Amino acid sequence: MSLVQPEMRPHYPDYATAPTQHHFSPYADNGGSVVAIAGDDFVVIGADTRLSAGFSIYTRDQNKLFRLSDTTVLGCSGCWCDTLTLTRILTARMQMYQQEHNKVMTTPACAQMLSTMLYYKRFFPYYISNILVGLDNEGKGCVYSYDPIGHCEKATYRAGGSAGALLQPLLDNQIGLKNMQNVGDSKLSLERALAVLKDVFISAAERDIFTGDSILINVITKDGIQDYSFQLRKD
Amino acid sequence: MLFSEKTRTLDSILNADPVDSLFSDLLPTANNNLARHNFEVAPVKEATSFVKKWNNSCHENLKIKFNHGTTTLGFIYQGGVIVAVDSRATAGSYIASQTVKKVIEINPYLLGTMAGGAADCSFWERQLALQCRLHELRNKDRISVAAASKVLANMVYSYKGMGLSMGTMLAGWDKRGPGLYYVDNDGTRLKGKLFSVGSGSTYAYGVLDAEYDNELHDEAARELGRRAIYHAAHRDAMSGGFVSVYHVKEDGWEFVSRTDVAELHSIYKTDQFLPVS
Amino acid sequence: MFNSVMNAPPFWHNGPAPGAFYNFPGASTTPQDFRQHSQAPVTTATSIVALQYKTGVVIAGDMLGSYGSLARYRNCPRILKVNDNIILGAGGDYADFQYVKDIIEQKIIDEDCLDDGFKLKPKSLYCWLTRIMYNRRSKFDPFWNNFVVGGIQDGEPFLGTVDKLGTAYADKIICTGYGAYIAVPLLRDAVEKNPNLTKVEARQLVEKCMEVLYYRDARSFPKYQIATIDETEGAVVEGPIDVNQNWNLAHMIQ
Repeated sequence: MSLVQPEMRPHYPDYATAPTQHHFSPYADNGGSVVAIAGDDFVVIGADTRLSAGFSIYTRDQNKLFRLSDTTVLGCSGCWCDTLTLTRILTARMQMYQQEHNKVMTTPACAQMLSTMLYYKRFFPYYISNILVGLDNEGKGCVYSYDPIGHCEKATYRAGGSAGALLQPLLDNQIGLKNMQNVGDSKLSLERALAVLKDVFISAAERDIFTGDSILINVITKDGIQDYSFQLRKD
Repeated sequence: MLFSEKTRTLDSILNADPVDSLFSDLLPTANNNLARHNFEVAPVKEATSFVKKWNNSCHENLKIKFNHGTTTLGFIYQGGVIVAVDSRATAGSYIASQTVKKVIEINPYLLGTMAGGAADCSFWERQLALQCRLHELRNKDRISVAAASKVLANMVYSYKGMGLSMGTMLAGWDKRGPGLYYVDNDGTRLKGKLFSVGSGSTYAYGVLDAEYDNELHDEAARELGRRAIYHAAHRDAMSGGFVSVYHVKEDGWEFVSRTDVAELHSIYKTDQFLPVS
Repeated sequence: MFNSVMNAPPFWHNGPAPGAFYNFPGASTTPQDFRQHSQAPVTTATSIVALQYKTGVVIAGDMLGSYGSLARYRNCPRILKVNDNIILGAGGDYADFQYVKDIIEQKIIDEDCLDDGFKLKPKSLYCWLTRIMYNRRSKFDPFWNNFVVGGIQDGEPFLGTVDKLGTAYADKIICTGYGAYIAVPLLRDAVEKNPNLTKVEARQLVEKCMEVLYYRDARSFPKYQIATIDETEGAVVEGPIDVNQNWNLAHMIQ
């Protein structure tokens, strides 16, 4: 059984009145923040678990990290219905690649694919802030961040989503050590990355109403992906 | 069927035909790329202007912000082409990134610059890179800068009026020598010796026009490019980050330098006019 | 904006002006005019209240079909048993609900005809609903509904919801419409105090929510249906049930 296509529907003058107040918007802002930090042989990504719309919280326990392969994780925030759709297509594309080439798609390849997929919706974009993390071909941690229509940039740390503009300066200071003199270029350890990630989310929950409840963290190393969760304030 | 729309789109993206017509790109047919690239558009009356509405400032609460804003320049002189750019990307008043690569390395002999929508530039210049490679394979010869710029211009021309935002320069070296073209989202394509594009371009032009000379030697030319971008980054809020300089020569392009604007500021401030306190 | 200060023309057509932000063309059009072919809801149903307890799920919704502010149809069932392991509740446009319901029922009939022992599972229906809802929103012609899917899958209770955009999530407490503001706090509070609710307790809680909603939601009605599903008793839709009204407090409020 199929649904009638809208263009096949006959014209009923009764229903064709002047537009009412119910103007329809295909987008919703469901909030959420994603933060990712890469190190020499690891990458961590965290996302809060609050799903909200305006002032109401839909759920306090929504995973926004999507495991695309054993070394690649995508964090999404923004319009949740677009996220569901995009990640479903991505998963399908990952599987098709695997079956066609008999190998798992690498993180850099996946990053490029995501960029193109987002751009193909240039004229009806996915309203999502994406951060893709993984290990590159040398096993180094890498972070890719995107704008809604697929501009992709490789970085070593990134904050995105509703508290992105709040958190990025914090990361610039703590991880990027920006505009500081006499700072040693000591290697970033996993422990430090995790500690900063948690601190940064605690700060976001303090000032952003769309971020809170708890965070889910994925740590990617050559040994696989480990999950952690961490409670935030729930107000 | 219910899912026909979705599957068709996905399917045709996955099975996108390689370009089989040799000259299809050189013919600016209306919306030929729309058909080939199979972009999904919003099913509204004015589908193509749909996105613009979401960028509209009256929709402050739910604004799709794209990365924008730039200063880029390129000029031809006796030693080749100098290309210099800043590295800032802004989304509204937020600095989305200070480390954007605004010089797109299309192939070892061709560079493209990025001004306007970052995604538009990177996507279409990547598409151009594909076309340039296909040209090489078909013709056993590198594409000329003139042809490459025309391919790009024709691709974006077919989307004219749909809201693409792209102000790019193509710099390269071919049989005619150094080449520099300006291409924008309207399909405008201009050949020239000196261009600057982006929100900070006026500032860059000021420096560039004052100091430019065809007979500049290499180091002076590179320094001129760098200095012009620095001044633009200094005065234009939407430009900043790092200044990257590239030099295109007969044997291809060469990456020259990437310098933090803050560092350049400390170097240049000594020779700026400062009021005596 | 900078434009008012610096009136220099843009660098290229539709491009940014010197020192100015980029302005997309067509900025003068109002956002309303792109809802040309999406219909407005006509006959509507209000909140759905749903709760997952230890071994199953309860879904409740009243039986009113509102016509704007008119309480026009007073016998509109919108809680249904899809099959032995799924119950479904819907809010929003009643015609759209009936249309989707017909399709779901046809799916179940088709499945029964195959007689391969396969039974639609709640997560499959939930996923299918996200796709049809997203598909229609992408055509700017949404099904103006909220669906709440409850069921048992692999011995575990499941509760999920889908809205008119295709936004979907699973949670132990789901309320749509006014319920999101009035019933959710009551349910979250109760579940926090007692995370392992029994079926009886869950039912009582949902009944209390229906009562409170009736007091405050002007589009609600004192006659409702409740569906419960668990492994021992299967899927059962009960009703119409009358709201246990008590207006003794009313005189104390203003």
